[in-house]
Amino acid sequence: MLRIWVLAATWLVATIAIGLSAGLAVGRPWLGLCLALSLHLAWQLTRLYRLDHWLRHRGFMDPPVLRGVWDDVVTQIARIHRRKRHHKQRLATVLRELRESTNAMPDGVVALNAHGEIAWFNRMAAQLLHLQGRRDIGIRISNLVRQPAFARHLEGGDGTAPLTLQVSAQPETWLSLHVLPYGEGRRLLLIRDVTRQTRLETMRKDFVANASHELRSPLTVISGYLEMLATDPTLDAAHAQPLAEMRRQADRMAAIIGDLLVLSRLEAKDEQPEGEPVDVGAMLALLRKDVLARPQHPALVTLAIETQDQLKGDELELNSALANLVDNAAKYTPADGHIGIRWWSDAEGAHCSVTDTGPGIPSSAIPRLTERFYRVDAGRSRATGGSGLGLAIVKHVLQRHGGRLEIASTEGRGSTFTCHFPPERVLAAERRA
Amino acid sequence: METTDLSPHISSRFNDDLEAVRASLLRMGGLVEAQLKKCLATLSEADSVLAAEVVRDDEQVNRMEVEIDEACLRILATRAPAAGDLRLIVAIIKAITDLERVGDEARKIAHISLRLATLERPADRYREVRHLGRLVEDMVHEALDAFARMDAEAALRVPQLDRQVDEEYESIQRQCVTFMMEDPRQVRRMLDITWAARALERVGDHAKNIAEYVIYMVHGQDVRHTRPEEVELRLRGRGGARES
Repeated sequence: MLRIWVLAATWLVATIAIGLSAGLAVGRPWLGLCLALSLHLAWQLTRLYRLDHWLRHRGFMDPPVLRGVWDDVVTQIARIHRRKRHHKQRLATVLRELRESTNAMPDGVVALNAHGEIAWFNRMAAQLLHLQGRRDIGIRISNLVRQPAFARHLEGGDGTAPLTLQVSAQPETWLSLHVLPYGEGRRLLLIRDVTRQTRLETMRKDFVANASHELRSPLTVISGYLEMLATDPTLDAAHAQPLAEMRRQADRMAAIIGDLLVLSRLEAKDEQPEGEPVDVGAMLALLRKDVLARPQHPALVTLAIETQDQLKGDELELNSALANLVDNAAKYTPADGHIGIRWWSDAEGAHCSVTDTGPGIPSSAIPRLTERFYRVDAGRSRATGGSGLGLAIVKHVLQRHGGRLEIASTEGRGSTFTCHFPPERVLAAERRA
Repeated sequence: METTDLSPHISSRFNDDLEAVRASLLRMGGLVEAQLKKCLATLSEADSVLAAEVVRDDEQVNRMEVEIDEACLRILATRAPAAGDLRLIVAIIKAITDLERVGDEARKIAHISLRLATLERPADRYREVRHLGRLVEDMVHEALDAFARMDAEAALRVPQLDRQVDEEYESIQRQCVTFMMEDPRQVRRMLDITWAARALERVGDHAKNIAEYVIYMVHGQDVRHTRPEEVELRLRGRGGARES
């Protein structure tokens, strides 16, 4: 096909030629030219008018037959339009499929823009958070999900840990909300219904707490009678040995139950304890004395207090955590061994480490060490009379104080347990003064 | 007019200010909702820790009331808003007062619950009061949702719920009176239960007020002291007139 403008120019030249020659024939060339051009222009204008009318009113349906160059223009326009419509349809299909697939997702998804306003959400999110169709697009999510905990989570939103909360509209439903940052300031909110898990978890916690509590009273009775029997002078000497063993086991059982109760109490309180300043240095000094007061203790117990900083936290909990670490070290270190306790602080926060020269822990066991009742080898903890819950308690206490436990160990040479506390928990000595 | 975006303003700062103050109102609302939930839990679980939290939250609610009040006054003074914006500010100023009162009522209920906790708890753990509490909680939630969405339709449903609350309150009262006559030793407890129910009924009234401010904000119609049916008729009539 020739270019449209070439065609149009040819038509124009032809018109001029016809007009001129017709004019020359009657002896009035200019009049002929004028007439021919006027006719040409009038014809073109009517075409233009019809094209304009078609573009405006017919919505690209049934293109008009305009003849000449105008037909080419119409074909071009129609083709461009067809191509565009095709693209649009393809995009719409992709979009629809995307929407349908996100609607099929079992989790709720809400996309938030930089202002925390709802940009888009899927069907599950609407169901879980009671969002209403298009109406809620553009509303700040915190205006609709008004729980104070959620607002704090959204603001502090580095999107690390999901938040579990109850939605007011359905009091029996527990949702887990997870904020994930993406793009520039945008965030994605993932919502999952965790009612079942939460209920099971509550049942488990309640069961452990209740069972330990119920076991304690009968055990107290048994221990009481055992103690009475052990001091009874009329009793046959042959029974002394088994009685002593029974008492030992009863004590151990009491220790396990006590630790279970401590753990379930730690789990029940999910908020971090508010900061009462605790003098960790003094606490460690006392713990060291306790170790030295034992009938059998390692020869060398050193204490290095390198900072006067205090820690904001719950004194009882911190004490039980540190006591567990020191106690473990004392149990596993032979009489000629060495225990080193250190308390220091730096830019990353405060730290407390307990190093021993005990048998060490195989590296494969380290990740599982804080599990309840986990034993490195079956004989070890029973021989030393531990409850198997000590390190679980340490882990929980540290979590509640925003800290973490680091374990390093070489088999045959000893282990180091380090507690790291974040800087916001540290109360510097100079600020205290 | 029912759209949530607060009409384009020449100054986007103004828009931000309005959005911010509305967000703080709803944030305060969230706190009050949580307070209400906690005080009802105090009633059924006799948990003194929760009761202490309700009291602590109330201090924050009071602080927020003052803050939002100041922010609204600042907008009034510096921006001189008109029409819809003015109604929004007025509605917020009124709503915070009601929310603050709801907080006070929650505190009252927490106190009563603690007193009731020292007595032996009945087997049903105050089922009627808890039911009333659930209704009232729903009302507050719906009213605040309507505020967030500028949804006058939803706001219309709140006064209807209030009737149910009133009936429930009446029946608790009657029941308490019957118990008191049967057993004078129960008078103290029954009085406390009546007080708790009364506080909840008041919370329902405050929720109704907030819903009315939403209608005022959206339609510019003052619907206070009007029966719900009449309100609906009036608003429907307006809507019809606008369509024709």
